[in-house]
Order: sequence, then structure tokens, then C-alpha cells
Amino acid sequence: MKFRMNPIVKKDLQVTARSMRLSWGLFAYEGVLTFAFMLALLGIQGESRSFYGGNIYSYLVMLFPVLAISQVCIVSLIVPLLTASSISGEKERQTFDIMMTTCMSPFSIVVGKVTSAVIRILFFVLAGTPIMALAFVVGGLSWLDLLSFMLVISLYSVFLGSIGIFCSSICKKAIAAVILSYVLTAVICGATTIPVILRMLIGRGKPGESLLFMLFNPILFFEEYFMQVMTGESLMADELSRSDVGILTYALSRGTLWIFISAACILLLSFVFMLLASWRVNPLHGSGTRASRKKK
Amino acid sequence: MLYIRDLTKRYGNFTAVNHLSLHIPAGDLFGFVGPNGAGKTTTIRIVCGLLRASGGSVQIGGTSAPVGSREMKRQIGYVPDFFGVYDNLKVKEYMEMYGSMYGMYTRDIAKLTDDLLELVNLTDKKEVYVDTLSRGMKQRLCVARALLHNPKLLILDEPSSGLDPRARVEMKELLKNLHAMGKTIVISSHILSELSEMCNSIGIMQQGHLLAAGLMEDVMNRFGGGRNIHIRIASPMEPAIRLMQEQVGVRIESVRENEMIIAYNGGDQQISALMQYMLQNGIVLTDFHREEGTLEGLFMQLTGGGAE
Repeated sequence: MKFRMNPIVKKDLQVTARSMRLSWGLFAYEGVLTFAFMLALLGIQGESRSFYGGNIYSYLVMLFPVLAISQVCIVSLIVPLLTASSISGEKERQTFDIMMTTCMSPFSIVVGKVTSAVIRILFFVLAGTPIMALAFVVGGLSWLDLLSFMLVISLYSVFLGSIGIFCSSICKKAIAAVILSYVLTAVICGATTIPVILRMLIGRGKPGESLLFMLFNPILFFEEYFMQVMTGESLMADELSRSDVGILTYALSRGTLWIFISAACILLLSFVFMLLASWRVNPLHGSGTRASRKKK
Repeated sequence: MLYIRDLTKRYGNFTAVNHLSLHIPAGDLFGFVGPNGAGKTTTIRIVCGLLRASGGSVQIGGTSAPVGSREMKRQIGYVPDFFGVYDNLKVKEYMEMYGSMYGMYTRDIAKLTDDLLELVNLTDKKEVYVDTLSRGMKQRLCVARALLHNPKLLILDEPSSGLDPRARVEMKELLKNLHAMGKTIVISSHILSELSEMCNSIGIMQQGHLLAAGLMEDVMNRFGGGRNIHIRIASPMEPAIRLMQEQVGVRIESVRENEMIIAYNGGDQQISALMQYMLQNGIVLTDFHREEGTLEGLFMQLTGGGAE
């Protein structure tokens, strides 16, 4: 069977590759990462002199979370910019109608847009690998950890991309879509903690099964992931006792299971956002009818 | 080829398209005319699957596939009135992208691209970035793009709007060529003189209603198209004038020496009967002809002079 690339992905990559924005983006990304690296190195040097008598190597493993969190922060800023302007950008450019008259389904269009954003993010992440690799070479982490980080950042990009594309399908203007996607990401992170807080207030500090909502929380996902990579332990497994939480939460919090289930939940949420976006962009279902009415 | 039955589009209390029924046979070059807000673009967008109809049905080429389905989209090539292009994308890449969107293979697209660019006279622009093309060239490229998947029906919404005179002529020639090649084309335009030159059938819309549709000649004949009849007479004028005044539906517009111009909205048979009646009554005719009708005249007559 012949592999056929999604035309949207191919077009987006072609257009991006010829744009100056890619070069400037890479420059800025590497710049920020290098700055974070230098800052972390300075801190580590200072710390190691004070507490370890100059044994810098035992402390260099800290470079990994610093650089990884820097990358996560940059990706959090970039992905909504790439995806939230994709559908509304097509509408503003007046290329959307022609696209919708082709045989591509709205879902394929949405998936193509998210995929192209994830690939472009991977350009940046891969370009930052040499800097990241320092944390592995001198920090004692394995190449498998680097690979797992790539997977995790890709998953996070899909999550942010799906939110971005959903917002893009709602908003007519690209800038409104970008702002909304930042807000929606923050709301998801915040909203998943609300049931836990409420349950703890009612249950005298015991969260019970409400912690399962946190499976959809990317912040806790990253926390658990970094804990596993750095220490091989889980914060949840350490902190939660059988009497505080339900059977399911307790079972999931053991070992690395939480990370995998949380990854699946975040992917599921991304899929739902993409489905909603494809429903919205379909002129026979979603916003197309209303948009045309306004045009008339 | 295209069957539209009872098509209706409502926006709240406003009805943009009101129970429109239309049949466009295969191979026709159909001109869709009407004042702004008549419902032409709404109808086109519904047919192309870009708008949901409130009622009615659309059928293309005998298929019963619903509007907006992949099967239906495969049969339509759509050229909108305004469209954008992507920066940093070459003409051949533009064609390749849309070809892929119809599920075509790169090799087939490359071959068809060459043929289609030749057809639209853009062969030398194959390696040029799309955003650097002139508006006329972009419009022709859009036609080539719409033909890439070999649709049965080509729909153009105001293709000449914003084009300079030369680009308009080129577009007109291109559409004539496509019509000669047997393509079924639906074109909506405000430039009536252009439509009358190239279309063989027309549909006139106003306020969501289809006022007239069919072959250009038939529609002209059916509605008269505001055409007067010129009669030259070799015998005395008075009996001829009297005879015309007695006829129902005939209005004498002017009388000159040996010539009379009358307004009559009858069809070919009625006009022929009128001529026979004059001859039977001893009027000696040297000329009896109807003015060449214009689409503008017909349009103004049917729409009551609705501003275009």
C-alpha cells in the first residue's frame, strides 16, 4: 500500500519551510533554550560549590527538568499560535471554501492542521536536542529518557493543537482564537482540580476518587513524568495512602501506570476537541451556515 | 445533469431561495443572472455543499448522493467569486495540493497539470509562486484547479468580477472552449452582455424566485425580451394601422412612412399568425421582422428594472 501524506500537512510544511518565520522561530527557540541552559548551569555551579564541594556532575542531572520545562513552556506558547490561526487563517485568506468543496473530510482537514503543527514543533524540539543531550551525557540520564521526552512533548503538542484548532473553528479572527486557546488550556488545567478541591473540602482532606479528574490534567501528567525520569518514583504513590483515595485511584497511582492512563486520557480529550472542531468547520453542520448568513 | 427541486433557504423570516426548481442538461453553458441578493450565490453554495438548504433536493449526473458528500463533491468543480492563495506555494504545488485533496496520485496530477495549464494558458507559470500571479491569471488557475479531478459540472460564481477587460476576454474564451469540449458549466455573472455571448441557456432570479429558465432562444421567445416588430408596408398605411389597433396585445410604438413598429409579446406562432392575418387582409408587406433581443432587455423586463 502506498503511503499518502495528508495534503494539508504537505502544503503547510512546504509553505513553512520557505518562510522566514521558521528561521526566526528556530533562532528564538534555540536562543531561549541556550539562555535557560546557561542560567541553570550557573545555578548548578553555585549550588555544587556550596553543598558538594565543587562536585558539579552529581548536580547536572537537574539540567534535564530545567531544559525540559523550558521546552514545555515554549511549546505551550507556540502551538496555540500555530493551530489557533489555522482554520480562521484559511477563512481570512478566503481559501477555506475551496478546501471544503474538495473530497477531504472536515476531520481530515482538522487532523492535517494539528499534525502539521506537531511536526513543526518537533522541528524545534529536535533542533534543541544537542542542548538537551548535555543533560543526558553529563547528567546520567539514558537515551530512552530523551526519546520518552520526545513522545511526551509530541503528545502535549497534540493536546494543545487540538484545543487551538477547536478555538480556530469557533472564532472568526485568528487573534481571538489564539487568546481563547490559551484561556481554554488554563481552564482545563484549573477545572480538573476543582472536583478534587471540593471533595477534599467535603471529605475532610480526603480526595477519594475525585483525583481521577486529574488524569486529564497535563500539569500533573508532566509532574509525574519528570518524577519518574529523575527519581524513578511517583509523587502520587508517595503521598497518597489507601485510606485517602478510592481503590481505582490508589491502583492507578502505583508505578508508571498513572502516566500511561493520563496520556491516554489527554489523547482522548484531544480527539474530542478535534471531533468538535471538524463538526464546527463542516458547513453543513457547524458554523459555516452562520458565517455565510452573515456574509449575505 | 443538474436537477434542483424545490430548493429553499431561509434565514429566520427571510427567504433567500424560495422553492427553486431547475434542470440544466449536460453540455449546457448556463448563465445565472439576477440582481444583488437574488439568491444566485446562495443557490450555488448549496449545490457545492457549502451551505445547508432549508428544503428541497439537488441531484447531479443522476447520482442520489446527498449534497456535501464525497461522491457529490467529486462531480463539481467550484470557482468562487473571491478566493485567496497561499504565499510561498508554486503553481504546480498548488495544483498538486488540490489534486491530492481529491485523492489523486502525484503522477496523475503532474500530467493533468501540464494539460490544464496549457488549456488556461499558464504553462510558463508552472514554477512561479501563486501569490505573484495577476488576478486574471489566478482566476484562470482556479479554473484549472477546478477541472483537475475532471468534474461533470463546473460552477463559477462571478468569475469576471474584478478582472480587467483583457482578462475578461481571456476568461470568456476559456469558458467557450470548455463548453465546446462538452463541459456542463454554470456561471453566475453581472455582466449580461458577456453571458448572452457565450451561454446557450439562462436562468433569471429575483428575490429568491426563478423568474425564467431554459434555452436562451426559448426564454427570449417566451418573454419577448422587450423586442419590437418592424413592419414595412408597400400598400396604404391606414388599413394596416387599423388592423393592428384591433389586435389584442399589440401596441403601436411608432408609425413612419411605410414603416410601423409594434410591441407584441406573442411567441413565434402568434407572430406568424399576425403576419398571415395582415396578408389575408390585403396588406402588402415588404418586411416583417422582430428586433434582435438582448439579455439586458429581457432582464430589465423580467426584474422590473432591478438594479444590477
